[in-house]
Amino acid sequence: MRNHDEAARSVPSVLGACCADGSGPTQPVGPCTIRVALVGQPNVGKSTVFNLLTGLNQHVGNWPGKTVERKEGIHRCDGVDIQIVDLPGTYSLTANSLEERITRDYIIHERPDVVVMVADAASLERNLYLLSEILCLPAPVVLALNMVDVAQQQGLGVEPHVLEAALGLPVVPMVASKNQGVRELVDTVLRVYREGPRGVCRPDIREDHREVLAELVNLIAGSVPEPYPEDWVALKMLEGDDEITEMMRARLTPEQWEQVHRVLMKHEDAILAIAGGRYEWVRRMTRAALTVPKAGQITLTDRIDKVTTHPVWGLFVLLGVLGAIFWLTYTIGSPIQAFLDRYLIQAGAEWVRTALAGAPWWISGLLADGVIGGAGMVLTFLPILVIFFAVLGALEDIGYMARAAYVMDRFMHLMGLHGKSFLPLFLGFGCNVPAVMGARIVDSPKARLLTILVAPLVPCTARMAVVAVLAPIFFGAAAIWVSWGLIALSLAVLAVVGIALHELVLGGEHVAFIMELPLYHKPNARTIGLSVWQRTMGFVRKAGTIILIVSVVVWALSVLPHGEVDTSILAAVGRFLSPLGALMGVGWQMMVALLTSFVAKENTIATLSVLLGVGGEGAGLAQVLPTLLTPASALAFLVVQVLFIPCAATVATMRQETGSWKWTAFSVALLFILSFAVGIGVYQLALLTGWGV
Amino acid sequence: MLEKLLKRLADGGAHTPESLARELGVSRDMVERMLADLERLGYLEAAGGACESKCAGCPSAAVCAVGTPQRVWALTDKARRKGF
Repeated sequence: MRNHDEAARSVPSVLGACCADGSGPTQPVGPCTIRVALVGQPNVGKSTVFNLLTGLNQHVGNWPGKTVERKEGIHRCDGVDIQIVDLPGTYSLTANSLEERITRDYIIHERPDVVVMVADAASLERNLYLLSEILCLPAPVVLALNMVDVAQQQGLGVEPHVLEAALGLPVVPMVASKNQGVRELVDTVLRVYREGPRGVCRPDIREDHREVLAELVNLIAGSVPEPYPEDWVALKMLEGDDEITEMMRARLTPEQWEQVHRVLMKHEDAILAIAGGRYEWVRRMTRAALTVPKAGQITLTDRIDKVTTHPVWGLFVLLGVLGAIFWLTYTIGSPIQAFLDRYLIQAGAEWVRTALAGAPWWISGLLADGVIGGAGMVLTFLPILVIFFAVLGALEDIGYMARAAYVMDRFMHLMGLHGKSFLPLFLGFGCNVPAVMGARIVDSPKARLLTILVAPLVPCTARMAVVAVLAPIFFGAAAIWVSWGLIALSLAVLAVVGIALHELVLGGEHVAFIMELPLYHKPNARTIGLSVWQRTMGFVRKAGTIILIVSVVVWALSVLPHGEVDTSILAAVGRFLSPLGALMGVGWQMMVALLTSFVAKENTIATLSVLLGVGGEGAGLAQVLPTLLTPASALAFLVVQVLFIPCAATVATMRQETGSWKWTAFSVALLFILSFAVGIGVYQLALLTGWGV
Repeated sequence: MLEKLLKRLADGGAHTPESLARELGVSRDMVERMLADLERLGYLEAAGGACESKCAGCPSAAVCAVGTPQRVWALTDKARRKGF
């Protein structure tokens, strides 16, 4: 820096000969040439400024030995030849790219009389970072603040005078594309050339590193080749600049290098403080000079996000949204389901029985009880699912789901997961299969495994459909509270299991999660329609295949070998499990229903319908079931139902996604034990308190 | 300021570029630049790849909004060694 100041001070005498007052020549004595370098980031209008200044007086070549274009030109003003070199556009002055090296080497070796940094006023901070590096080089700088019109259009208020005062160097506002400010720029360049640099405000580094820098300057003093400034070389070495470090290594004696190397190794992370100091400087420089759009210009998305991503209000919004989803689904969906059950399934089964009265018993049994009563019954849940999928699709399309994940993050953290895991888990409310698959988006392997392991604890629509049918039968008007309680229980168990697995099995790791929140937009009916269609068809395919087969098999097992349910194979299996059922007061039919739910959750109802022979008896389940179970047993049964091992499709997906039978088996065993433990616990608690017995 | 950002990310958690910008008192643009710097300097690494490859083969891919644009950064061993 010292070298440069001396050079700058020596300049006015030369300049005085040709343009004494700087604003224009008084009596030009002879041609005077000053050299100006144009620097700046790409796309800030640097070339426009260059072309405006040089016009046809320009020459395009290459930098010696490099493929990078070198543009030079001359601007004649008031008898002064301003020789302008357009340096390559760069974002910073590390040695990382050819352009960066050309720029800094030119300034150091060629020592231009003035460096004009062209900056985009619309992204001032980013541009000032480059300036913070240029200011460490030995050259007086003028800041050409280009595109001030664009900044204005964007609502940014840039105050060139305030910026000038803060920086301690001349700032010239410009709109190069409209030829505005060019004359002022030239005048300023001439003035700076004549007057030399003023008290420029350079970025500082932290106190502790300042001492290290001084130590380094001492160590390399006398060995730095001309024309490199010693303090700049020391700073670059501390930054970890390979090029400069290598240069110095070749020049220092082994003993000196040993000492330097020790200092550099000890302060390996100094770059954080140095670059951090530059960012801090940029912030300080722009604090007063730059005003960002005021509240009035904040977009609708920003306003909505103030609430939806707020740590407290955001959570209430999320709870409200979840509540609304289930309320809509059940309020509209359940009556339609009941209607379809009564007039399609029950009436259909009755019609088949009548129509096939003359056929063998097993044909009408198979069709009425097995196919219609089983798989057909499950299809009546379609309206519930369509509504759920439609609301979910709308929320996704509006852009809310990303906010939900953001808000949920702090809770997911307790499990060592982050908000990203919430997205697949939320899909689990629709179906656990996409939840397990969706875990692919979780990047860390441990977090992905944990997400997959807890995914089956999200109550899916199939489980909730079973609850939606059975809860009103057992609990009447209180069914909605029971349903809510079951959802809350599932999620509480999910949290406990997640935390336990995180602490005990998987161990923690921290990742930060930076989300782009999409702008809110009007939902598109087509997108939502597509989403509902795809998801619903998936369900219909399941009902037409797996559930249909299971219904028929369950029916067959329930009548074989003697045509009686009580003496059937299924009854034998169910009775084998009845000791477990007895602990929560449920009979063998319920245990069989649970078992068949492994194939598909909806089978619980299909199986109960088949087993209790209600296919043709009107709303039979509603009459028969309460006679079989006390409210306490019914509650315990529902608890087991929602926590039970997931359906076969989910288990198969878990195997596929984890690639491990061990973790799949672990999950199945865990959920089997957990579901019965909680179910039995609920029943025993009810017995103790005397509720519902 | 880079250290402050690194500390913030070391705690994990969800951030938007805007929320980080607010906390640091700079523009979103600057946050992006700082993140790029921290990555270039070897303190941060992007965890995981693009969603496209992961969602291939998922039946819900066509209708799923899970893969909204997001970046996950993990601190590198270098950053951990520095006590972040």
